[in-house]
Amino acid sequence: MKEREDGLPPFVNSWRQLYALIIASLILLIGLFYWFTVTFQ
Amino acid sequence: MNWLDWIVLFLTLILIVGYGIYQSRKDRTISSYLLADRSLPWYHITLSVMATQASAVTFLSAPGQAYTDGMRFVQFYFGLPLAMVVLCVTFIPKFHTFNLVTAYEFLEKRFDLRTRGFTSFLFLLQRGLSTGLSIYAPALILSSILGWDILYTNLLSGFGVLIYTVTGGARALSYTHLLQMGIVTLGMFLAGYMVVKMLPPEISFGDALHVAGKMGKTNAIDFTFDLSNRYNVWSGIIGGFFLQLSYFGTDQSQVGRYLTGSSIGQSRLGLAMNGLLKIPMQFLILLVGALVFAFYQFETPPLHFDKVPVGKIQESALAGEYEALEQKHLALQEQKRADVLRLNAALDNQQQSEIDALRSTLSQSEKELQQLRKEASDLLTRATGTTANDVNYIFLRFITDYLPAGLVGLLIAVILLACMGSVASAYQSLASTTIVDFYKRIFAKDKSEVHYVKASRWATILWGLFCMVVAQYASKFGSMIEAVNVLGSLFYGVILGIFLAAFYFRRIGARAVFWGAVLGEIFVVISYVKELTAFLWLNLIGCVLVILFAWIIEKIWPERTGQAGAGE
Repeated sequence: MKEREDGLPPFVNSWRQLYALIIASLILLIGLFYWFTVTFQ
Repeated sequence: MNWLDWIVLFLTLILIVGYGIYQSRKDRTISSYLLADRSLPWYHITLSVMATQASAVTFLSAPGQAYTDGMRFVQFYFGLPLAMVVLCVTFIPKFHTFNLVTAYEFLEKRFDLRTRGFTSFLFLLQRGLSTGLSIYAPALILSSILGWDILYTNLLSGFGVLIYTVTGGARALSYTHLLQMGIVTLGMFLAGYMVVKMLPPEISFGDALHVAGKMGKTNAIDFTFDLSNRYNVWSGIIGGFFLQLSYFGTDQSQVGRYLTGSSIGQSRLGLAMNGLLKIPMQFLILLVGALVFAFYQFETPPLHFDKVPVGKIQESALAGEYEALEQKHLALQEQKRADVLRLNAALDNQQQSEIDALRSTLSQSEKELQQLRKEASDLLTRATGTTANDVNYIFLRFITDYLPAGLVGLLIAVILLACMGSVASAYQSLASTTIVDFYKRIFAKDKSEVHYVKASRWATILWGLFCMVVAQYASKFGSMIEAVNVLGSLFYGVILGIFLAAFYFRRIGARAVFWGAVLGEIFVVISYVKELTAFLWLNLIGCVLVILFAWIIEKIWPERTGQAGAGE
């Protein structure tokens, strides 16, 4: 079995997945902030 | 502030400083003093980079910014997660592989000593000036609370941090950053909770957001592409990406934090978590500002939030004029309050036409109020002879006027701790760059470890004094958080261009990148002085110009084979 890299968190299997998660969270936040702007303006 | 606030404030500060000094007792070599022997886990790195970036300015200016300009400032951070990914992929492995103490050492390995020296100099200039602004922020608080001259509070803040930094090393900074971020987070959550709790009983959290939103304060997103608009999604993602990449990738105050990681993986994870947490944190800080705005729709705010110039004008010949403005402000505020209550009722009853009409009325009232505040600032400037800008006082005034005893002390401690975190990192990075990139490299090559640690401590003291002098002149700027970022944008793009040329353009040599950087910096300064574009774009412009100029110079004035890319 391949050894996990040092520092890699348990919820991802590779650094690539972690980077994809960061970018996805940015897109999600922009979406949420857009909703926030439109809802309360 | 009453006795309970002073006790909370001093106990918190003593806890942090004492803990920092305790943790620094083992540092006897330059590696342990500047890099904690490269032994720290990822969560130290996450909290340390966050504590370094989140200065007192963040907690003073950002809520004030939301109060006056709305929450659109959050878009400034949209480039940060993308920058974290690039740093994890490119910068961290390179820096770890070469076993560097400062980022600029890499430039000598890739180019030459001249490029390393030039980049280090740009960093020292920019960081020295912006650290002065970071000292000024908490000095402002003490000045306002104690009624002291800003000179004495600047010296007090600057020296306090200086003593702590000279004694502590990188390990001490990192451990104190953990505690600082814990206390800061607790304090800001309590402040947010208290604002909502102090709203009138009939106004819920959602109602408060509607009130702030109808007057343009919940404007977190703007998709309009406009080069002259400081904060929109595009300037945040593109300009912000280059600014954050440059800040985290080439500013020693941040590089020094993640080089303390025990491995490449630990440093990577530390920065990746920063990429996930930073934007929500900044959003919440701005949200507190928007809520303070909503709170002041039901309580009459001061016309100008800084007590000191108001006290002065009341004793001057302009007192009558200022009082007339205050009367107008009071009348307008009364009218607004009635309209806000009607708006709330219309929202409860879902009367859309009434909501639209009141939004328009309130928007007009808000414009008139801003105009009145501007007239007051102009009058105060005339009366005192110094620029009266109260953006940085808004949150502070709210804290001291409305929050209960004990919490005021805790929040003042939060602001001072944030200052200590970022200024301590900055002092240490200024000292490490001075010693490693100039003193040890050029002037005193073969001295003992103890000598270099001692030299680093002296460099810290000298930089501390320089920053305190800068702090004395910081009141000339407007919003400090913007001033810090404007200053960064003047230099970061060029520094980033040099590093990107080093990483990705193997054909560009030392001579080309040096002159490309000099030309790029000249162009960036001209662009700023001539106001050719909003400041965030200067990061992109500076970076692209360095690479472009360097590439052209390399083409028309090539270095001899074997020189370009030397050291790779």
